[in-house]
Amino acid sequence: MTEFKSGVDLSMMEGVLRQYQDDSTSLIMILQQAQSIYGYLPQEVIYHVAERTGNSPAKVMGVATFYSYFRLSPMGTYQIMLCQGTACHVNGADRIRLAITQELGINNGETTEDGMFTLNEVACIGCCSLAPVMMINGETYGNLTPEKTIKILRDLRKRESGEGIRLLVGQGSCGVSAGAARVAKVLSGHMTATDNFTVQKTGCIGMCYLEPIVDIYEGDTLLHRLVRVTETDALGIVEAVRKKDFKKLEPMFISDDDARFLKKQKRVALRHCGIIDPTSIDDYIKNDGYKGLDKALQKEPEEIIEEIKVSGLAGRGGAGFPTWFKWDAARKAEGEEKHLICNADEGDPGAFMDRAVIESDPHNLIEGMLIAAYAIGATDMFVYIRAEYPLAVEHLGKAIEQARSRGLLGENILGSGFSCDLSIKIGAGAFVCGEETALIESMEGKRGMPRLKPPFPAQKGYLNEPSNINNVETFANVPWIIQNGGAAFSAMGTENSKGTKVFALTGKAKRGGLVEVPMGNSLKDIIFDIAGGIKEDRQYKAVQMGGPSGGCIPAALADTPIDYKALSATGAIMGSGGMVVMDDSTCMVNMARFFLDFTARESCGKCVPCRIGTTRMKEILDRICEGQGQEGDIELLEELCLAIRDGALCGLGQTAPNPVLTTIRYFRDEYEAHIRDKKCPACECSALITITIDPEKCTGCTVCSKKCPVECISGTRKEPHVINQDACIKCKQCISSCKFDAILVQ
Amino acid sequence: MKKRIKVTINGKSCTGLAGQTLLEIAEKNGIEIPNLCHNDQLKHYGGCSLCVVEAEGSPKLLRACSTEAQDGQVIYTESERVVRTRKTSIELLMSDHDGDCRGPCVLKCPGSVNAQGYVQAIARGDDKEAVRIIKERLPMPACIGRVCPHPCEDGCRRQMVEESISIAYLKYFAADRVIAAGGYLPAKAAASGKRVGIIGGGPGGLTAAYFLSLQGHRVTVVDAMPQMGGMLRYGIPEYRLPKKVLDAEVDEIASLGVEMKNNFRIGQDASFEEFKSKYDAVILAIGAWKSMPIGCPGEEIDGVLGGIDFLRQVALGEKPDIGDKVAIVGGGNTAMDACRTAVRLGAKEVYVVYRRTEKEMPAEQLEIDEAREEGVTFKFLTNPAEIIGENGKVKEMKLEIMELGEPDESGRRRPMPTGKYETLPVTCVIAAIGQKANVTGFDAVELNRKGIIAADETSYRTSVDGVFAVGDATNQGAGIAIEAIGEARRCAKVVDLFLKGLQVPYHKTYLSVKNVSPEAFEEYSKLPRTKMPTRPAQERKHDFQAVNLDFSEAQARSEAARCLDCGCHDFTECKLIRCANLYPLEPERIARIKGNGKTHLSFKEKCLVVIERDQGKCILCGQCTRTCDEVVGKGIIDLVGRGFDTTIRPEFLQSDVIRECVDCLECANACPTGALRIRENEQVDA
Repeated sequence: MTEFKSGVDLSMMEGVLRQYQDDSTSLIMILQQAQSIYGYLPQEVIYHVAERTGNSPAKVMGVATFYSYFRLSPMGTYQIMLCQGTACHVNGADRIRLAITQELGINNGETTEDGMFTLNEVACIGCCSLAPVMMINGETYGNLTPEKTIKILRDLRKRESGEGIRLLVGQGSCGVSAGAARVAKVLSGHMTATDNFTVQKTGCIGMCYLEPIVDIYEGDTLLHRLVRVTETDALGIVEAVRKKDFKKLEPMFISDDDARFLKKQKRVALRHCGIIDPTSIDDYIKNDGYKGLDKALQKEPEEIIEEIKVSGLAGRGGAGFPTWFKWDAARKAEGEEKHLICNADEGDPGAFMDRAVIESDPHNLIEGMLIAAYAIGATDMFVYIRAEYPLAVEHLGKAIEQARSRGLLGENILGSGFSCDLSIKIGAGAFVCGEETALIESMEGKRGMPRLKPPFPAQKGYLNEPSNINNVETFANVPWIIQNGGAAFSAMGTENSKGTKVFALTGKAKRGGLVEVPMGNSLKDIIFDIAGGIKEDRQYKAVQMGGPSGGCIPAALADTPIDYKALSATGAIMGSGGMVVMDDSTCMVNMARFFLDFTARESCGKCVPCRIGTTRMKEILDRICEGQGQEGDIELLEELCLAIRDGALCGLGQTAPNPVLTTIRYFRDEYEAHIRDKKCPACECSALITITIDPEKCTGCTVCSKKCPVECISGTRKEPHVINQDACIKCKQCISSCKFDAILVQ
Repeated sequence: MKKRIKVTINGKSCTGLAGQTLLEIAEKNGIEIPNLCHNDQLKHYGGCSLCVVEAEGSPKLLRACSTEAQDGQVIYTESERVVRTRKTSIELLMSDHDGDCRGPCVLKCPGSVNAQGYVQAIARGDDKEAVRIIKERLPMPACIGRVCPHPCEDGCRRQMVEESISIAYLKYFAADRVIAAGGYLPAKAAASGKRVGIIGGGPGGLTAAYFLSLQGHRVTVVDAMPQMGGMLRYGIPEYRLPKKVLDAEVDEIASLGVEMKNNFRIGQDASFEEFKSKYDAVILAIGAWKSMPIGCPGEEIDGVLGGIDFLRQVALGEKPDIGDKVAIVGGGNTAMDACRTAVRLGAKEVYVVYRRTEKEMPAEQLEIDEAREEGVTFKFLTNPAEIIGENGKVKEMKLEIMELGEPDESGRRRPMPTGKYETLPVTCVIAAIGQKANVTGFDAVELNRKGIIAADETSYRTSVDGVFAVGDATNQGAGIAIEAIGEARRCAKVVDLFLKGLQVPYHKTYLSVKNVSPEAFEEYSKLPRTKMPTRPAQERKHDFQAVNLDFSEAQARSEAARCLDCGCHDFTECKLIRCANLYPLEPERIARIKGNGKTHLSFKEKCLVVIERDQGKCILCGQCTRTCDEVVGKGIIDLVGRGFDTTIRPEFLQSDVIRECVDCLECANACPTGALRIRENEQVDA
């Protein structure tokens, strides 16, 4: 063994290694633990883990470099996780990235020289309704503008350099709707340059009815929590903080009762707030929990499969494969050990249905899985969940313990003689692991590269034994079906799509969030009746469904019903439930580029069409968006699309062309405008637009020049201003700040 | 006993055993399905995506390597959808392939002679192997090594370090030594019973005769001149190519059983039809023997000669009367041969009249320099306006002064008349401004717009069935010998297939070419090119003895050792390039120009003791990592990273020696491309 001079204390790994070193499937977990101990994976640790687990160092490296969660070098004090989800993309994440790069001089994966900031672009942090979003050391900053972003970074620098007071304004979706954003704005407005405290934004802290909430921190100590703060309170708060005399603020202090209640409710997912407490099994049982399991255990497994067949339940992960068929195949497969796996690797950037279900109702998932396990004869159960969902992992872990303590998991469940236990496997950041065979590889502690099918998991899955894999939402429907009967479920929906579907509605819809509707509702019903139409009453252009595997459905097809067949006919897919609404300011070519960038980054690299093909398509889309497109590029894209669809090994690759195919199908004119006229009709592609100030309209108010994050607007007061085109990063911040409509985009 | 099953593949009924894959059954039944990541010793992988096939009733394409055949299955391995998908996958692979299949010297050679191969053999001291490699493409290395303007050297990458390798001279060095030792000829195939008639005994005709004769065909070469060799004999002066060298190589070809008839002219000794009727196939390699006229008044005056006519007369031992003051018009190699021959005939003043400047001259720089050393005067930017005679003999030439204008279609700056003139007293004018085929007697064969023989560029067919044509008499007109030799070899391949009843045009091989940047060559120390020793100008200008004094063995070996060995060593075994030549490929349209898209750049890594790895050639088929893991049981190399950026690296991205490696070489043997290569002995010691 090589000797290392640097002082990494390997003894800190002893506990986790003793526990897991002999389990070949636990390599990823060991590395996760190591990273949480050391902050990254030092070379010594890789060698040490290799030695102790009996793997070659190359193998451990292979795994460590496959998953984006792992890093091989230390990180900055502040880890900026910039969300690259679809909703963030639609809402201008690119401009935020530019602003960060401009301010800190670092690109994705790099750390500032002073070691203070590390920038990481992440697939999706599931806060789509606040898009664009970034997370810094676990704290979420939403509704970002380039200007705000720069202010946040500068405030952090300030905080790091001094002991100043911080005013934390909770601005989750509920906070914002209660006026927290306005409060924060007014607070900042009352501050002067000499004030040495900062106003910061934080994510939703879960106390919806008390919003807006302002926390006064000194260092890491919470001095006071102010609730139901209004804009008129702001001046008083600023003055009190200046004097460090908070007496006058007493009426706003949180009451002791509220504080206790809130402590218990902390970080509870907002959507099911007030219905049940996801951390309480009693609450779940009180609400008819585990009744479906009880009923199921009194039936024969075949009867359950029949009930599911009657219900018409189809896989909610996206493909819509009949659930009963998979269960039946797994039941009939030969093998002493059978595994039931829940796919909670919700990787579509813009979808967060599964997270919400697990966070808010983990027992429902456990119950659904238990019924399925009984039906197929599974000997054990696993939930494979993304590491990006810590709260869901926490709630699920708690729920599993509770269920075990009540005899709902483990030996002889509810005295039925049926035994089965559930464990959690945590992913480490790889979209492809949502593909079932890649997921199995990952569960076995390997690089998540898809296997060849056949054999299907029902024959040879986890550890080469029969396995059945369903998605979270699929399982979540099962207890209800068993309790209410398959017929009740199939009474909802259309001829070939039964029951309901959950969607994560994001993008330019007025009201974003989770919606669950019966199948057969039209896209228009969801986007206009439920979500209230488009923000700022702009023109509805399209909706993207199914994420990187799906497609864009144009406004003209808004009457399309939620139905597997009808959606597929448009070239999109039902998908797992990501629904990103786009208005006329969204460029469809850029949208396609966004998804290809995603799939190219997430391609596992095993098969040629996906590994090289998606990269080549992204390069072609890049050049089209940058005004370098050439005649023949559309046809070349179409040709590559077909070859990748037919040639790729797994579903990720086979469906990767869909975003391109659908945008070409419905928005070919936009592609042509980029290629032939070097114009972006949506005025989004920065290389193809110019921002200028109309000297006739400009009053010289100087607002835009102050807002400009790169200080490229100049002019004397009361004289028309000018934009320095060489420096302009096309962030459009000036446009929204101008009160006189004087700024033009061409 | 396993159950027998029937599978229909491409309409052919095939049998196999239950449990066998489609690929196994296809292979057993002689149907090839391309693949790059499959290996019988390893578990199925499915990465390369080339083995996809279409099955009736299946909406998706199947991977033949891993799909178990079903009884009664109907499979298509070359359907339109399959070919489209497979072809794009290969193009995608090639769009990320940074490696040279062949060295640039080989690619630049119109005859595709493996220059890298023979230079390396010479460096190793194996001259016979060098000649064997040369003769795969070129039967007359001693001649061509002396006369070729060597486009190979223009491509030579050693220029990125300092100067190109002296490839052509090395070629004749090896050839001379092998001839001196008794010569070398490859084995001949069994007699085919077919007869081929070749008209023209120049480099093209002789080359075709050589290759067709090796294929077992009975070949007759007829030529209008008294001896074989064509322009090599009658157009190249003795001092550049001694006749005895040519004789030796002509004799070698004759020794293969090629019948050679001289003083035989079509139209006189036999009509074309008569000649043709005696053979199963005919190749026209008649060359370009007609000098082009200058096109100015006075050209008919006695004392005005054509360049090649002049050289031919000298070669035939005649002594043309050229007087004391000779002007050669033209700037090509024929002009150089003519002026230097005029010097050797005793002319006191020899001028080269050229309408552009030295920079634009098509002649080789070496020829220009040597001519100048021998006393030739270059009159640049002058153009004959009129040749003036006195008493029926040339007296002087009126030259118009020229200047250079904008570049023309050849890229050279166009000479523009100035309206100013000068007069040059001369006793003889030699017009060396081009040559053209004389097609008299070949009326049956269709001509092109230039009035020379039209031959298909890939099949060399003429308008007459069974008649093929190559060299100076065809298409673009006169070129250099190696061009005619290349065409003749390819044509011989087509004719061979034609004689076997197949009609296949010559298929140009698709080859990968590497991106090179000067930085990659900084590690090499500068070793200047070895100069060919020559006789002093004052001595050589008086006779026709060879100018070159030839390389010594030490010079040749050290010169050859400068070779950077650019082309891929696994070219002949490479599965990837075989796949890349299944369909016409255009990977450049996918990654526009190579280097415009993202690529895994080539670099040599020597982390394993005996294995050298080149990332640019890796196709990530995983055969090495899987072999190390599944076959050897070591697992010391693995994939690193993911997606496009995946690479194969050992351990902690370290490039140091791996302790665990047992040097079993299995990984390198499994590699279907040249990405992993067993290092040569001397490198292992380093």
